[in-house]
Amino acid sequence: MSIIKTLNISKRFGEVQAVDNLSFEVQPGEIFGLLGPNGAGKTTSIRMILDIFKPDEGEIRILGGPMTDEKKNRIGYLPEERGLYQEIPLERCLIFLAALKGLDEDLAASKLKDYMEHFDLYQYRDKKVKELSKGMQQKAQLITTLVHDPELIIIDEPFTSLDPVNTEMVKELLQSKRDEGKAIIMSTHQMNQVEELCDRILLIDHGHRVLYGTLQEIQGKFASRDILVTPLNELPQTIEGVQEIKKLNGRFRLTLEEHTKPNLILRNLINSGVELTEFEVAVPPLNEIFIKVVKEKAGGVND
Amino acid sequence: MTKIWKIIKYEYTKHVFQKRFLFSLLSLPLVVVLMVGVSLLMGVLTIDTSPVGYIDHSGTMKDPQPLERESSIFEPAIDFLPYQDEEQAQKDLDAENIQAYYILPEGYPQDYRVDLVFLEEPASEVQEQFEQFIKQNLDMYQNLEPQIKERLENESLITISTLDGEREMRQDQWYNIFVPMISGIMFFIVVMTSGGYLLQAVVEEKENRTMEILITSVTPKQLMTGKIIGNIGVGLTQLVVWLIFAWVGLNIAGQFFPVVQDISISTDYIAVLMLVFLPSFVMVAATMAAIGATMTEAKEAQQISSLFSLPMMIPYYLSSTIMMNPNGTLATFLSYFPITAPITLIMRMGFTVVPAWQIAINIAILVLFAILAIWFAGKAFRMGMLRYGKKLSLKDVLRKQE
Repeated sequence: MSIIKTLNISKRFGEVQAVDNLSFEVQPGEIFGLLGPNGAGKTTSIRMILDIFKPDEGEIRILGGPMTDEKKNRIGYLPEERGLYQEIPLERCLIFLAALKGLDEDLAASKLKDYMEHFDLYQYRDKKVKELSKGMQQKAQLITTLVHDPELIIIDEPFTSLDPVNTEMVKELLQSKRDEGKAIIMSTHQMNQVEELCDRILLIDHGHRVLYGTLQEIQGKFASRDILVTPLNELPQTIEGVQEIKKLNGRFRLTLEEHTKPNLILRNLINSGVELTEFEVAVPPLNEIFIKVVKEKAGGVND
Repeated sequence: MTKIWKIIKYEYTKHVFQKRFLFSLLSLPLVVVLMVGVSLLMGVLTIDTSPVGYIDHSGTMKDPQPLERESSIFEPAIDFLPYQDEEQAQKDLDAENIQAYYILPEGYPQDYRVDLVFLEEPASEVQEQFEQFIKQNLDMYQNLEPQIKERLENESLITISTLDGEREMRQDQWYNIFVPMISGIMFFIVVMTSGGYLLQAVVEEKENRTMEILITSVTPKQLMTGKIIGNIGVGLTQLVVWLIFAWVGLNIAGQFFPVVQDISISTDYIAVLMLVFLPSFVMVAATMAAIGATMTEAKEAQQISSLFSLPMMIPYYLSSTIMMNPNGTLATFLSYFPITAPITLIMRMGFTVVPAWQIAINIAILVLFAILAIWFAGKAFRMGMLRYGKKLSLKDVLRKQE
């Protein structure tokens, strides 16, 4: 059963078509990347999923049906930027928000203690939220998202303001939640994090679905005919099946002739006595795919 | 329900255990004590203790005895000197041997009307003592049954008119003005501070996106209900604390100033006060929440809310008119208009007897508007969520159905 299923949802704000006929599904036990340039309709989609507002058209099924009050307790949401009360002590703020998710206050307090200790925040529990650094607030925000052990986790830019150590901690936490079978929707512009974490992605632009599928499928679709090799000795001047050889620092980028399989090149290289420490089919970075797709789309729109 | 309760509890404790709440809680009683203290002191320093004359044409006082009372620094005893006719009294007045003289005309036993002649109007203290002097010496008063006498104790036995006939005022209990005025101010401060808290909270929650977390945890209706009830709780706490202060203060003051002991507030008055306050409170709080939901900046929202608070004070600007004619057209109209109703009604009830059906209609109107305001707040809130960083016009709120 899908955790989220949207069927042809659309939302218009005055003149702007924020989301246009968008369909996608999110499964339990996956991290789903929701990507797109600024103003693409990511936040609008998230808000429709969360029932902050209703779609003009289409249908959203969440946890097996329409949104109910009870289901709100089974969802954790980390909005972009801040989202905590600034003027009250951290612990009080977290307990209140956890209580609104249906947790008993004592249970909330003990769970929050564990989380705060995990994130090195316990010693700051009596400080006002506004006195905490941005990174600490981000961690606190993440605690609010996860403390009630939601089945569906929706996080918008979770790594903003986090240092590498905390980023790693959050990544591990998200992965363990995925392994527990939770569904996680992550919206971010940090493509390296998407490559590391996401099982499937949806790229939207101008409210339309542009790319949708597993990371491998999408990268495969955009794979170029390039191979990266690092030889210990000299490469031959020409290699059968290779159109062009380019030297990068210490490595070589081989552009293959059309319809040539990488296997053939590997055999040819070994046959010609090259010793290799690296042989890699170049996967286009998601970043490049993103830029390419969005630029093409913008060009198309202008035409 | 439990979520509403959690919101109520959060909103209530957030304010009540704050320093600024304690300040606002203590500031009003301090201001009142200071004001009363200063005016008493001024009164003491400026009181004219020279004798007052009287001429009794009605013959109701046979063999009048001087007023039996202790003289104190706050209430110095005034001597009352009898005169046979106006001519002699006027001569002494011109020579400043006396500060004023009263004339009891022949018709006094019928209408209790006395004339007062002065160069400079005597202090109210003088008039009070003269009334006591009359009560003590009136034949007909002396012969009354003790129970009737007791009942008359708080009734005024004189209506004073100045000889030029311009002003006429029943010499009545001063607190008939004092109590409604203070209750009105208390109500205004309480409503505006807790309304202000609510407004601030909603705008801030929108600004820092806490709203998104809240709204994905509870329904807008739960959120608004919890917030409104929580903030009214804060206001009621403030009111109750002030009433306790007032009660203790009056009891202490009564030890020193006998005049304070005259103050008695009927339970009917307090009951109606509560019935008027509660719906007005809900109305203001919900309206503040609605303003908060449609505004994007706290500063702007504050300005809008002050536009709302000014009309609430209209009855104060018109207080003399309302006082002179508490059942007149203006006063009645103001008490039907929801924004001015609470304070107008409180004032009118202090000055006169307002017909019960009018009070009922007033309260009904306030309840109706309170319900309307909650409905409006819910709608404005839902609309406000749709448009981050954009202001909403009244038209937007009423037009769109989401």
